Parts: sequence; C-alpha cells; structure tokens
Amino acid sequence: MDLRAGDSWGMLACLCTVLWHLPAVPALNRTGDPGPGPSIQKTYDLTRYLEHQLRSLAGTYLNYLGPPFNEPDFNPPRLGAETLPRATVNLEVWRSLNDKLRLTQNYEAYSHLLCYLRGLNRQAATAELRRSLAHFCTSLQGLLGSIAGVMAALGYPLPQPLPGTEPTWAPGPAHSDFLQKMDDFWLLKELQTWLWRSAKDFNRLKKKMQPPAAAVTLHLEAHGF
Amino acid sequence: MPAGRPGPAAQSARRPPPLLPLLLLCVLGAPRAGSGAHTAVISPQDPTLLIGSSLQATCSVHGDPPGTTAEGLYWTLNGRRLPPELSRVLNASTLALALANLNGSRQQSGDNLVCHARDGSILAGSCLYVGLPPEKPFNISCWSKNMKDLTCRWTPGAHGETFLHTNYSLKYKLRWYGQDNTCEEYHTVGPHSCHIPKDLALFTPYEIWVEATNRLGSARSDVLTLDILDVVTTDPPPDVHVSRVGGLEDQLSVRWVSPPALKDFLFQAKYQIRYRVEDSVDWKVVDDVSNQTSCRLAGLKPGTVYFVQVRCNPFGIYGSKKAGIWSEWSHPTAASTPRSERPGPGGGACEPRGGEPSSGPVRRELKQFLGWLKKHAYCSNLSFRLYDQWRAWMQKSHKTRNQDEGILPSGRRGAARGPSR
Repeated sequence: MDLRAGDSWGMLACLCTVLWHLPAVPALNRTGDPGPGPSIQKTYDLTRYLEHQLRSLAGTYLNYLGPPFNEPDFNPPRLGAETLPRATVNLEVWRSLNDKLRLTQNYEAYSHLLCYLRGLNRQAATAELRRSLAHFCTSLQGLLGSIAGVMAALGYPLPQPLPGTEPTWAPGPAHSDFLQKMDDFWLLKELQTWLWRSAKDFNRLKKKMQPPAAAVTLHLEAHGF
Repeated sequence: MPAGRPGPAAQSARRPPPLLPLLLLCVLGAPRAGSGAHTAVISPQDPTLLIGSSLQATCSVHGDPPGTTAEGLYWTLNGRRLPPELSRVLNASTLALALANLNGSRQQSGDNLVCHARDGSILAGSCLYVGLPPEKPFNISCWSKNMKDLTCRWTPGAHGETFLHTNYSLKYKLRWYGQDNTCEEYHTVGPHSCHIPKDLALFTPYEIWVEATNRLGSARSDVLTLDILDVVTTDPPPDVHVSRVGGLEDQLSVRWVSPPALKDFLFQAKYQIRYRVEDSVDWKVVDDVSNQTSCRLAGLKPGTVYFVQVRCNPFGIYGSKKAGIWSEWSHPTAASTPRSERPGPGGGACEPRGGEPSSGPVRRELKQFLGWLKKHAYCSNLSFRLYDQWRAWMQKSHKTRNQDEGILPSGRRGAARGPSR
C-alpha cells in the first residue's frame, strides 16, 4: 500500500490495515508469553551440537571407506546424490524465504536425510560405527522434533510425506559398492552443509522473533492533515 | 570434507563441480542422468580375492565425443597412484592393469581402485576385497545369570584377522529337540559374544556352536554341549558390611546377604572373601567359606584401612554336581582396625566366632582362655564376649608390662604368652 503525502484517507486506510493485521503477528506483543523464542534457541543449539557430532562421525566413517574418501579435498562425481535435499541456495532466495518456507525446507531436508542415514547403517560396517550412526540418528530425530515444535508454536502445519514419494535410497541391485561409497560420501557432505545452513536459518529466525526494544512506531507524514 | 565453511556469499557462488560432466556407468545399469560425456567401466566390479592372488583389471572408456581414448588415463589404489609399468593400453578405449601378490585389504569396506582421466577426475571405481576365509572359532564359554539367560563368548580363529568383514553367528539347540536357533544380541561382553535373554530350558543339555562367514567362505566351531544348571552364576552378595570387633585391633567382621535372586536355592552356596590394605594391590583371599553369611578376618594390621569384597558361587544348584561360576566381586567396602603399636601378620581363614577349635594358634589361645575361664567365669552364655574381653585384657596387659615382643612369627598372635597370674 502506498502512502501519499497529504492523503488523510490514505493514512487512515494504512492505519486500519496495520491494526487489522496486528493480531495475526504471532506471539510478539503478548505480555508474559515467551513465544517460540526459547524453542528456536534450542533448535539452534541442537544444530550446533549435531554439527560437532557429525564431525567425529564423518571422520570415522570416511576412514572406514578408506582413501581417497578421507582425503581433505576429495571431490568425486555427484551422481545418485541428485536425490539428496540440497542445502545450497542462492543468497537472495535464502534471505527472502518467509518463516514458514524456511522452517518447512529444514524439516523436509532432515526427514529425508534421516531416512538415508538409517539406510547407511549397513551390514558390513563395524559394530562401533553402527552404534555411532544409531546415536547420531537419534540426535537428528531430536532436531526434527525441535523444528516441529517451532512450527507448531508459530502455527504452521507440518509437511506431510506424500504417499509414494518416500525417499528410497535403494538404488537397485546393480549399484556397485564403489558407487555406494560415493553416495555415502555425498550424504555426509550434504548433511554437514545442511547443519551449517540451519544454524544460520535459526539464527535469523531468532533475531526476527526478538521483540523490538521500543514500541512499534509508525512514521506518518502529515501534510495539511 | 573441505576445511572451512562457506559463508552465504560463497554458497550462492558455488557452482556445480567441474566433474559433473563425467559420469560413471553401473556395470549392468543404464547410464545415469547426466550430460552424456565420458563414461567408463571397470571390470571386474567389486571382486573378492584371496591374499596373494593376482588381478587383471580393465578400465573401458565410452563417450559421445569421438576421440575419447584411453590415452592419459591412470589408476590409483587407495588414493595412491600406481606405477605406470603396471598399466598398459589394450586398445583405443581400454586401459589394463596387472596387480600381483595382493595384500589383505587396507579397510574392511574394500580397497578403492579408481580409474582417472588425464585431468585427475574420477571416471570409475571398483572395491577390491582381498582377504582370507574365516578359521574355525574356538574356546566357547557360556554362563547363565540366575538360570534366566545365557551369555556366550568365543575366540575367532586366526585371531580374527581375515581383512574382510566376518560375520559371526551363535547357534544353539536343545540336544534332543531338533530346532536350530540363532542368537540375536551380539557384542554384549566384548566383540565376540552373544546374549540369549529368554526361553531357556533346564534339565536338557544345549548344543552350542559358532558359525563364521565372510565373502571367501565359512567355518564352524566345534559343538559345545552344556547344561544350564552347570554354568549358573549370580549377582554378587548385596549388603556387605565390614565392622570392627569391639576393641580388637587385628580383627574385622564381615557380614553379607545371600544373593536374592537365588536365595531360595542356594543351599550349598560357596563364598570367597578378599581383602587388601588401602595402599596395596595385593589381595588376600579367604576361600572355602561355605554356606554362611559372615566371617571374621583376623591377623590384620591395627590402625589400617582395609577394603573387602565378597563373591558367591551357586555350587550344586538344583543338584548339579558341578561348581557354578563365581559372581562378580561385590562393591568394595572399607573399614579400619583400631589403632595399636603392635603389628600383626596376616591370616587366610575366617576366625571362629567362639569355642570352635580350628587352626593351631587359635586353639592354643582358647585353651588358655578356658583355663582362665574356669577361675573367673560365672555365666557360660557370655563366653564369646568374655573371650573378647580377655583378649582385650591380654593386649592391655602386654602394653603395661612393656614387653618388647618384636614381630611375632606368622600365626602366633600372642598365643605364646599365657595369662600372667
């Protein structure tokens, strides 16, 4: 809507519109209600914790895959990894995501990643690796729950998985072991990238949800009003 | 994983990796979605080989642009470039490799053999599994906690080094009832162990064995036959209390409770007590403590802190002729003996509570006590307490007499001296 200087009706319309929309602003100005702030903080903290856990898990897993997978600049072709949810996004697009979309993208990404990770727990890996993977999956499950909590607090519906679009990591019996190793590599890489991005997502949400220091002030230009 | 984290600016600037045009082809599968440029196939794909064998491999390049050749291709194994003399160009599009006398795989997920293009990008890969078939597992030992479950442990043959992932499966069946069962809970007490939590039958022997399988073959251990009742163990005795015995400076009294899980069945339980001085690592063991729930340790050093532990063996449970398996030691309980100047040598048996003649020195001492008692006792019910009183009197009278006895020879704690009257 646009404020034309000197248009008193315009100003009134603006004021009405603002006042009309005010109750829809979620949990900001109600006194005594902490709002989704604490759970956003918790989610942020969880992403940092998971990032730390992943570093050690990935190190161990890549050593299990053997060189060159555990070499620092290893960058194999990215093939089956096409089905992985991509964290990489254009900066402007990322900035302009609304809260609901931001949260939904995070939730969907981790749902898929968790599913793939569970498939990673394959027979051949050592018992110790299986334990670490299982532990990580549990923590990731916790992150999902936390995101769901934030979405619920803000009144957004949880994305429901559509039947038939369950991510299947089973690429077919012809999939060679070496290709599987590359897929595992990219899964861990994408997981790492998502955790980095989520930290920024939740930091952004945290800042947005903070109640402003002063009351919201409307600057209205009054010309001959 | 690359070091450093990309900021949002870097994320937006990140382009698809330059390798994307180069795709791999599954041996049997269709080409994956991609730009349809170079593709390559390694043969054999993911082979399994015996240590010391040889391998002939080929990397065949296909691709739309004509002129994709095997020229400039090279091999790496586990990230290390292979010497060029091992490769040769078979034809325009195929590079061959000859490896001899292969060592065991560097990692259980397989050695990474990779075919690279001239610019270093990955064209194809194959996992080599080089190892040995498993050897017969042996040394199976099992125990049952309170007759409720069964835990077994074994030693893998060849000390486990097959270089390949080897799967161990513990199987069991009742001797005359046919059906094989497989244990499901592994690694409960170490890497080669399994726990069977329920549905165990008593009074019929079990046949137990371990099967080891890997890509190169399998092996089976000898069958162990056992009866659950012969391998019963239980919890350590709870509520172990150690306390002083009046003013006696060289004794401590240990009391415990029979392990509750088998409380009603432990008619012949055996116990063992061990104790040590606070700063020592040498335990003294009191063996053959049968069917009692208390013991008196004697010959201890005065003014010293002792740690005491007790464990139980459910010997002869349900009429089993064999000893059971010793429980874990109870949590250490500490107590200190009262202070004194005279050191005392150690003992290895529970001291009798009173009146029971046992080992030599105690008998001699009791003899003297009874002699004294005849002159002073007027209530035989209190003989035990009087015995303690007498001992305390003996020690005090030695102090006042200021006799320099020095270190007494082992086992003779003041027994040599009679009451001075």
